[in-house]
Amino acid sequence: METLTANMSSANESVSSVPTEQSKNKKSGSDRFRKHSNLPGNESANGLPPKKRGGVLRSIAQQKYLYLMSLPFVIWLFVFNYLPLWGWTMAFQNYKPAKSFSEQKWVGFDNFVKLFHDDQFYLVLRNTLAMSVLGLIFGFIVPIVFAILLNELRGMAFKRVTQTVSYLPHFVSWVVVAGIISNLLSIDGVINQILVHLHIISEPIQFMAKGNWFWGIVTASDVWKETGWNAIIYLAAITGIDKELYEASRVDGAGRFRQIWNITLPGIRSTIMVLFIMSIGHLLSIGFEKQMLLGNSLVTDYSQVLDLYALNYGIKIAHFSYGTAISMFNSVISIILLFTVNGLFKKFAKESIM
Amino acid sequence: MKWRNPKSLAVLTLAGVLLLSGCGGGNNNNASNASSNGSNASATDDTSPITFSFFGADTSPNWNNMQDDVGKEITAKTGVTIDAEYDVGSGGGQSKIALMAASGQYPDLIYSKGELSKLVDAGAVIDLTDLIDKYAPHIKALMQDSMNRLKYSNEDQSIYQIPTNVGVDNQYFDATGGFEVQLRVLKELGYPQIKTLDDYENVLKQYVAKHPTTDGQPTIPLTLNADDWKIMITVTNPAFIATGAPDDGEYYVNPETYDAMLHYKRSEEKEYFRWLNKMYNEGLLDKDTFVQKDDQYQAKISSGRVLGLISQEWEYQNAENALKTAGKDDYTYGHFPVQVDSSTQDHEMQSVGLDGYGIAITTACKDPVRAIKFIDWLASDEGQVLRNWGVEGKQYTVDANGQRVIPAEVQDRKVNDANNFAKETGVGLYNVFGPHYGDGVKDSSGNYYTTNFPDQIVASYSQSEKDALKAYSATTWKDLFPSEKDLPVKDWGALYNMAVPTDGDYQVIYQKTQDIIRKRIPEAVLAKPADFDKVYDAFLAELDKAGAKDMEAEYTELVKKRVSLFTGKDVQ
Repeated sequence: METLTANMSSANESVSSVPTEQSKNKKSGSDRFRKHSNLPGNESANGLPPKKRGGVLRSIAQQKYLYLMSLPFVIWLFVFNYLPLWGWTMAFQNYKPAKSFSEQKWVGFDNFVKLFHDDQFYLVLRNTLAMSVLGLIFGFIVPIVFAILLNELRGMAFKRVTQTVSYLPHFVSWVVVAGIISNLLSIDGVINQILVHLHIISEPIQFMAKGNWFWGIVTASDVWKETGWNAIIYLAAITGIDKELYEASRVDGAGRFRQIWNITLPGIRSTIMVLFIMSIGHLLSIGFEKQMLLGNSLVTDYSQVLDLYALNYGIKIAHFSYGTAISMFNSVISIILLFTVNGLFKKFAKESIM
Repeated sequence: MKWRNPKSLAVLTLAGVLLLSGCGGGNNNNASNASSNGSNASATDDTSPITFSFFGADTSPNWNNMQDDVGKEITAKTGVTIDAEYDVGSGGGQSKIALMAASGQYPDLIYSKGELSKLVDAGAVIDLTDLIDKYAPHIKALMQDSMNRLKYSNEDQSIYQIPTNVGVDNQYFDATGGFEVQLRVLKELGYPQIKTLDDYENVLKQYVAKHPTTDGQPTIPLTLNADDWKIMITVTNPAFIATGAPDDGEYYVNPETYDAMLHYKRSEEKEYFRWLNKMYNEGLLDKDTFVQKDDQYQAKISSGRVLGLISQEWEYQNAENALKTAGKDDYTYGHFPVQVDSSTQDHEMQSVGLDGYGIAITTACKDPVRAIKFIDWLASDEGQVLRNWGVEGKQYTVDANGQRVIPAEVQDRKVNDANNFAKETGVGLYNVFGPHYGDGVKDSSGNYYTTNFPDQIVASYSQSEKDALKAYSATTWKDLFPSEKDLPVKDWGALYNMAVPTDGDYQVIYQKTQDIIRKRIPEAVLAKPADFDKVYDAFLAELDKAGAKDMEAEYTELVKKRVSLFTGKDVQ
């Protein structure tokens, strides 16, 4: 996260190339802040006291306001993210809501055994992975390309309008998007009408009835909905790149594509890495709204995902323990993936988020 | 950027936290106020203000927080205000009630639909037997013949809920199910006889050949709704309806041996699905059928270009209301008891006896006595008339002969502006809160309890409907259907209401078979005619592989127990 925020703030500062009164004030303000918090200049205020002379207590006393400020958030984090982990005990019980904790029957790994013996589990795991990997690839490349293209545009007004228009779909709920998509793709929908009119196809195609198209449709609608929004962060990172680099390269005779390849892309590399690692962590938890809303009975073999499976076979039929086992599996895999990818990046690309 | 000073930021954050916790405290205070009100309210006929929280597993989009005429009257008479929450969309309360059971946070009153067993397992609902005995004379009078049917099961003979979504001694005066055909089709073809699938198919085929477009758009001979659970209503349930079997949810119960099996296994039903398959391959069944969402389906019907439906009126009601509002009465639908062949008859009118979803009081309710008294008041004649008819002088008047009459302009709004009418008057919104008599039962003043009686039903028909019925020499659609008098009462009630165990594998297998059914039935219907047998047989084999046989055996046991509970018969 630090790299990310650092990038963002540097981006903010260099938007106006001439330092204004305000930004000067800001600088002096942050100087004061540094002195006060006794941190080395290049380290951000992440609450970790440097282990130097004076001991921990002294630095706590020195930074009491920082600690006080972070306290509510630490409590919040603990209450909402760590306390619920207690509920994982349910996965090893035959949980009955009426009984107290001591009265629950412990069943060991029964729920996991059942889970790994269910054919359907592997089917939904396949679908989940397929859709999230597709989403990861396209949901990643498209916004970067989009941000770079947008950055190369000259007309300021056009650029602004495009940016705004492109991130608006992010605020439309999936229910509405699913309605739009299934209307567009229905037999008498616009897409079929255009294709038939242009004589590309002789009769309308039932897009939504073809199981092997489903992953593509979900990915495409996700890209449509989120590209503009995801591009914002890259645009911010691009603005943070020193303009002098571009000028210097132009003097050296670099063309547009050279500039993109040698300046823009390396400039936003760390942002890309951080976001990539974070989205790997979310690989299995892709939610289920899209799949539930776009799916229908003909494509269930391709549309069922882990979260939907947990809902149908866990919560809905009051098998809370089974549902917990599924989500526990989900979390554990996510953590393993996250650490693996982070470790790999640390080793080979010298970038990491931890 | 103003908050550079860490001190002020810290203070602000703390203030924020305090504010949040303050809000939480406020809620608790409210709750304790309500409960202290409740504990004071123990004197008889207490009408001091009290609020009951409530959850309803069905949507109630017209709910107006009791600010309607009927709601105000109820509060004035009983002091009770209901703080209601309803499930959204087609939820049916499944997820919501499972979460309630897991968290242990319940409303005071709950209408749980099919999810009662989850609440019973969680120990969330209280036994009402003694409460009814002591405090509820009206409920007792209403249920006198059916007290056995209120009991939960053979092992646990407690009464957890009082059925409220069905009327006691209800008689059907109108048919709202079967197979539907647009009135304009009937008119043009000279009101043909429609008894079998072949008749039905011919009617649609002839009309679409003559009128391939409707208002410029292609005419759709037949469309079904396969969105989520509605696939049961319009695709799978009609299979037993059209083959002369009664509605027992996903099962068919042999009336002699009480053996239950998934109804898809009946060979007659395979023929029904074969017919759907033929309809699809002939292009008569809408190609979008299994892809479209509920709103697309409703939109098609409201456009008036769908000639035939296989559904229940409540399922497409909103779309038909839109047609009525647009004055397109010819585009609304008539109901026919269509069968695969003439050897069977439609069982939709078969009486199941009193068996339905109902209202329960939870352990969270601070004053169950007051709650049961409230429900009892609703079950009184006064309460029932108020809920069904509205407020005297507003929604109905009493004429010189003591007859309740609905003024013409009120009737007009009730039919043509149904949603706003319900919102303002509250008529029809309070049915789930208390038990009531069904259609066709008269009170001591000689009036019907409900507003559904023959004269009133005919009064709500449009002219096109009246013309069509006249041509079939009937007064209501029900006259076309076999009457309940010709069909035996089912000993086991309505099985879709029966509580099934939440423990063990039953639920998992059931869920699996549901997944298979919803996947394979569409596949079979869309298959090439030559492949139909193969696909359907594979579907049945897949059901058994998922454990359907064990599930059916378990269900058979439950059915037998239920029969002996309801009737006192000794069933082996």
